[in-house]
Amino acid sequence: MTPPIVADFRAGLIRGELLVQKCNSCGKFNMYPRYACPHCQSESLGWQKASGKGVLHSFTILRLGPPEGFENELPYALGVVKLDEGVQLLGRLVPDADGEWKSYKCDERVEFAPMSAEHAEKRPCAWFKHAKT
Amino acid sequence: MSDTWPLNVDAKSPNDPVFVGIGEIPSGKYPQRTFIGDLTKVAILALKDAGMVPRDVDTILLIPCLHGFTDQADLVFSRMVEELGLAGHAKASFMIHSGGSTSDNAVRAASGLIASGHARTVLVLQCERWGSADVMEMINSLSKNGIPGEWELPTGVQFNAIGGLITQRYMASTGSTPAEMASVCVALRDWAQLNPNAMYRGKKLTVEQVLASRMASDPLHVMECPMLADGAAAFVMTSAENAKKRGLDTTVRVAGSGGCVSHYSIGQENDLAALGWATAAKRAYAQSGWGPKDAQFGEIYDSYAAVTTIAVEGFGICEPGEGARWFAAGNASPGGKFPCNTNGGLLSAGHTGVGGGTALLVEGVRQLLGRAESERQIKNAQRCIIGGSGGSYMDAQVLLLERTGKGGAK
Ligand SMILES: [Zn+2]
Repeated sequence: MTPPIVADFRAGLIRGELLVQKCNSCGKFNMYPRYACPHCQSESLGWQKASGKGVLHSFTILRLGPPEGFENELPYALGVVKLDEGVQLLGRLVPDADGEWKSYKCDERVEFAPMSAEHAEKRPCAWFKHAKT
Repeated sequence: MSDTWPLNVDAKSPNDPVFVGIGEIPSGKYPQRTFIGDLTKVAILALKDAGMVPRDVDTILLIPCLHGFTDQADLVFSRMVEELGLAGHAKASFMIHSGGSTSDNAVRAASGLIASGHARTVLVLQCERWGSADVMEMINSLSKNGIPGEWELPTGVQFNAIGGLITQRYMASTGSTPAEMASVCVALRDWAQLNPNAMYRGKKLTVEQVLASRMASDPLHVMECPMLADGAAAFVMTSAENAKKRGLDTTVRVAGSGGCVSHYSIGQENDLAALGWATAAKRAYAQSGWGPKDAQFGEIYDSYAAVTTIAVEGFGICEPGEGARWFAAGNASPGGKFPCNTNGGLLSAGHTGVGGGTALLVEGVRQLLGRAESERQIKNAQRCIIGGSGGSYMDAQVLLLERTGKGGAK
């Protein structure tokens, strides 16, 4: 069984929302979601829809040796994004029109790119693209 | 929390923990060798190096293998006690595990046991069979270990991608070029030519070859990724008093150690171009009372070049942001000002899993004892900086080792 903490986050992705955990006691954001707030140890935790905007800290394009089940998706880009909410996460990057990622650079603005419900169900992770300027 | 921990044991204490022997067999692909056979071999090699027999050992610490749970269970449940004829004699046999930094933590554990009198002589054993394991099985296990299943597995991240993320950020932060990054691999390959135990001995490498190889996970080329290998290593630690009593004049002591666990998930590292290296080194130097200028060489975890260039900067061995260029200038190469990873490192001696860090540690001790082959031996090797890291480079561990006694290489 998928624990509720994971199921809630994934349900958000399926709805096209990036959720970050918010502590009901101290109001701080936690990513990745935790079972008790690392800031105040409260177990009263909820969710907030993230702005989805942030900065690309780093990224890479995997071309060889993917984990089992990812063979048909090669190549794909992974990025660490620092959200404006002050938390960060690992996600995927939407390719440029040519199927590559040449336009991406560290420290540039990116934003959450919701995927279809079907896609989010299969790959429950956040996708990002260049932020609209 | 204070950033400094004074050492309770000083060089004059009879219980000061010291290294007295090391053992290692070649790394590479050796399908005919066996797990328990290799462990037995390195145990005996290390004990002979220390002038000891198995019955001189009271405690065995096991460094885990990652190639299979059954073999790991054999270690956990004390098989090596029986294999070495220590049934009824051994006081304890147990495993320490923190991935690639395990050997550093094993030294801390052994030191603590010896300094506190809970152990007299500790034998630390490591063997990995990655080179002979099924490749897809290894990719799958490496794509799950040290990666949060709930939050990161669905992205398709794996070990080379983690290396790629660190390398990309490091290059962006420092302006290091692909050729400068490749030069780290070349420096390590040059060292491997001098190490009979190295997987890539006899196979020279150039920057051009690295840059001409395919991309594995941009900006990492295939030739910048480590090759999984079989390998085994062991070392023996005892009290300074016991070493003296046994006539072992030249030993290696632990002058200080420092560590920093900076994250668990790669997506949660605050600065992928820093990791925990600088904090770990600061803590270690505070304990030893000596710093990078007082050491002659380093043995630093290197499953990807950027992990090591970030470390040499964090350790204060070179200027901030200059690690890759410092390697490219030949400083860490054979004949360089500050030799690094003199066994060839994980990238050229072979990635023996958790054992990659053990091999670097054993090489550091070997150099300090003056027991490397003459062409590889660093002259006047008195102090060494050891760096280890595990998982997604979740931690940075630093050991500061120094030779005691008048022996060693002149
Ligand atoms: Zn809280």
